[in-house]
Amino acid sequence: MSNYIIEAENLCFSYKSEDGTALPVIKNLTFGIEAGSFVAILGHNGSGKSTLAKLCNMILTPDSGKLRVGGVDVTDENLTEDDIYNLRRKIGMVFQNPDNQLVATIVEEDIAFGPENLGIAPGEIRRRVDDALRAVNMTEFARHSPSQLSGGQKQRIAIAGIIAMLPDCIIFDESTAMLDPIGRAEVMETIERLNREKGITVLLITHYMDEALRADRVMVMNRGELFLDDTPRRVFSQVDKLKSVGLDVPQVTDLVNRLRTEAGFAIPADILHSAEAVEILAKLYHEIGGKH
Amino acid sequence: MEEAKKAASIALRDVTYRYSIGTPFEKAALENVSLEFEGGIITGLMGHTGSGKSTIAQLLNGLLKPTEGQVLLDGRDIWEDPKKISAVRFRVGLVFQYPEYQLFEETVLRDIAYGPGNMGLSQEEINRRVADAARFAGVTPDLFEKSPFELSGGQKRRVAIAGVMAMDPEILVLDEPAAGLDPRGRKEILGGIRAYQREKKNTIIIISHSMEDMAVYADKLMVLDHGHVSRYGTAHDIFCHAEELKQVGLSRPQITKFIMELQKAGIPVESGIYTVDSAYREVLRIFKEKERG
Repeated sequence: MSNYIIEAENLCFSYKSEDGTALPVIKNLTFGIEAGSFVAILGHNGSGKSTLAKLCNMILTPDSGKLRVGGVDVTDENLTEDDIYNLRRKIGMVFQNPDNQLVATIVEEDIAFGPENLGIAPGEIRRRVDDALRAVNMTEFARHSPSQLSGGQKQRIAIAGIIAMLPDCIIFDESTAMLDPIGRAEVMETIERLNREKGITVLLITHYMDEALRADRVMVMNRGELFLDDTPRRVFSQVDKLKSVGLDVPQVTDLVNRLRTEAGFAIPADILHSAEAVEILAKLYHEIGGKH
Repeated sequence: MEEAKKAASIALRDVTYRYSIGTPFEKAALENVSLEFEGGIITGLMGHTGSGKSTIAQLLNGLLKPTEGQVLLDGRDIWEDPKKISAVRFRVGLVFQYPEYQLFEETVLRDIAYGPGNMGLSQEEINRRVADAARFAGVTPDLFEKSPFELSGGQKRRVAIAGVMAMDPEILVLDEPAAGLDPRGRKEILGGIRAYQREKKNTIIIISHSMEDMAVYADKLMVLDHGHVSRYGTAHDIFCHAEELKQVGLSRPQITKFIMELQKAGIPVESGIYTVDSAYREVLRIFKEKERG
């Protein structure tokens, strides 16, 4: 049995315009997401990232191709509504806007909303809510109103609401886009912890290159196709390729790349982290003069 | 000869703004705030969520009325005659967050022309302004006759920004104009706003969370903390106060932190580097200097 939580094979999806013409958004996509991995998905606006997320979460149904979630083929016509419901619970989704994902007036009631709808027993709900609050470091806010929270705190509550449904995988669809730097840092730290400590598979859709650096794997989408799919180190060493599809690289990577290509510095092409770049530049600098 | 018109400035004087007055939810978003946006430059207005940025934006164009205090446009209280507040809205343009949800006309061109069309201008003047604004906002002519609903999110955003630019406001306030756009889209929108400002020499206020962007595109930065100005100045003035920035929920650009790391590693680069371009030049300079001995 494969260890893939999500597996797509020749996946296709089109939106239909008013006059009936099909606008293909996902074109013949084949990939597998390993259980427990942390995968970042990059791509320009309109590249199909969010559509892909909605397919994985079964909000949308593929036109053709296969999509397996937890080994179950979601396109199987014999699946009952209960089956779909159960599959969907495995793949949680956190969206962009912190202000329209919370429904209750008290934080802990909001987190309980999902499990209540799943028909979980009250004692178990209590346990899950407390556990979810701890997982996002928000226990002290249990009785607060969401309106008193910052953007980063609201997103962490949205995440807790998903965790309380015990998902195997969480898809973050630009969940940090509207947050200030501190809020972003809080949410990223929470995401990494859930992946590491709870073993939850993470799909992180983002426009922030520094967030993608933290993943095990980076998938780059371009016009509905997989453009690059590799480790962050290998993906971000291809600066020109990324720029050609409207993306960028982290600032330090950009600087180091320019020093290498435009000024001829003897720097490896796959420098990724600040510390590596500092080390190599310091070495080069201190060598000057020594050679002469 | 007529003297060049001085760019308008706008200020808050002792402004307090309370939400939900008279209900249990009453809350002061701003308390006794005084600040001024200089004329003829781009100011980046930054602050954590809830610091009062968006409230200030809406006070500036008279969408919200101060509970106490005054909003001064070129020194005159915009609420002096409340009946004339709509004239203020022509002078102070506001682009909301996610403005792409506010398009409504049948074609892109008509959407951009909607604002100037309500200002009593000649058709010729409207056409000129629409063409100008479309150019700066990056709305290409092939989109003009399309329905706004056929456009991508990024294209809609540009149309919405063009619609406010076409009103040729003396002061233009944009709330997170690049939020949610991919890196190329961010550069195009922010670069277009700057080109527009450089040509019109008007006054622009950009609300943003991105230190990296504001270091490149703003002339001056204003940092808010819980409804008060904690700092105002150039990128240099702001980013040399790392600890203070952290306390108000902001941080320095990644490249600035990197330059400090280089200093620690014994490379004597100058502080005060906030963009990749200037970091590149500085590293080259310092290496060349050492090579020369």
